[in-house]
Amino acid sequence: MSLVILDAFGEENLIEKALENLLQKTGKEFFYFKLKNMKILACRSCGACEIKSPGKCVFHDDMPEIMRAIAPGSLILMLTPVRFGGYSSQLKKVLDKLMILVLPLYTVKDGHLLHSPRYGKKSLLVIGLTGQNLPGEEENFRLLAARNALNMQFTHKTLLFTSADPMEKIEREIDKALCEVKP
Amino acid sequence: MMNKKKRLLLLNGSPRKAKTSYVFARTMKELAEKKGHKAEIIHIIEYFDEEKHFEALKQVILPQDILGLVTPLYVDTLPYPVIWFLERIACDLTGELKGKEFFAVAQCGFPDTDLLHPLLESCGYFAKALEMKWLGGLGYGGGALIDGTPLEKLGRKGKKITSAFAFALDDIVEGKSISPRVQDQLTVKIPKILYRALAAFLNYRKKREAYSHGVSVADLTRKTYLENKV
Repeated sequence: MSLVILDAFGEENLIEKALENLLQKTGKEFFYFKLKNMKILACRSCGACEIKSPGKCVFHDDMPEIMRAIAPGSLILMLTPVRFGGYSSQLKKVLDKLMILVLPLYTVKDGHLLHSPRYGKKSLLVIGLTGQNLPGEEENFRLLAARNALNMQFTHKTLLFTSADPMEKIEREIDKALCEVKP
Repeated sequence: MMNKKKRLLLLNGSPRKAKTSYVFARTMKELAEKKGHKAEIIHIIEYFDEEKHFEALKQVILPQDILGLVTPLYVDTLPYPVIWFLERIACDLTGELKGKEFFAVAQCGFPDTDLLHPLLESCGYFAKALEMKWLGGLGYGGGALIDGTPLEKLGRKGKKITSAFAFALDDIVEGKSISPRVQDQLTVKIPKILYRALAAFLNYRKKREAYSHGVSVADLTRKTYLENKV
């Protein structure tokens, strides 16, 4: 299983540290992208990646580097602070451009109108760090992650932590989720 | 009793400045002006692209009574430039928007307006985090079919959307939560049983568009990043 980590945190935190410890212990193969250091241009919804340049954005940025890791991989792990019950802009800059993971053609599955996956089935593990969030924000965050997974026809899991959670708990839960989430 | 005339700022969240979100915002602006209110539209993408200075935005926002975000759905929630914009506002204008009113109108290509739920909820959390009064959100499914066509040129469909926006504005300018009947009016009810036929129609249209660009179905489904030299 190859793992691609999309890290949207601005500053070091316990989740990153716990993940680092875990990956060192398990020796899992992974690709790690610190998004704040990457040049990812905003999706302009120009539609070129659907038809004129199928599966590839026509604007030149660092997305090909991420896509070369994701396309053959099986698990995408997204790390983000929870912002207004959703993702931070740092994560969303990549996610908006991940629609090239699906085809521009439609299919119907379990009563949902969806796009078919371009690179086969994968899994999504979304990890959010909550702060001074309002009631309901966590629920919305989980719903959003579930919708992303449905949209791309991936299996998924969502984990939420606070900065007060002990490192051992974070490490244990991430380890468990990495074992459980399978394409 | 005369209602107080309000100042309304509509934030177009689409990176494509003249498309469906703008058409919706423009209609809302016209409807508000007909009722004697002041309304203007700004394009978030101009601040994101630094065509306009974010620092100057404060002077645009602070005199307003009501802010309304009109936006497309990108990958199940707000587009990246919109989240960036809301994060900047939350950071730079903390405490300064307290008491203003906020609402959102979201549109997506798929017919199912439930898909807009996480986006609209996020708008609500943004409003509450900044101590603004959340007036609620409206969702429209099928925005891609409008594709920037002015509502007045869309016949019955355009009239229906315009009428829904007029009802919504009645609530908005009075500082009331948008009535659920407005969402009922905006919702295009396509039975799920017709989704397979809809998928077939959309696929036919997409393939035809591809052929017109000299692109075959095999090209459309290329696994681009598993090929060499990408």
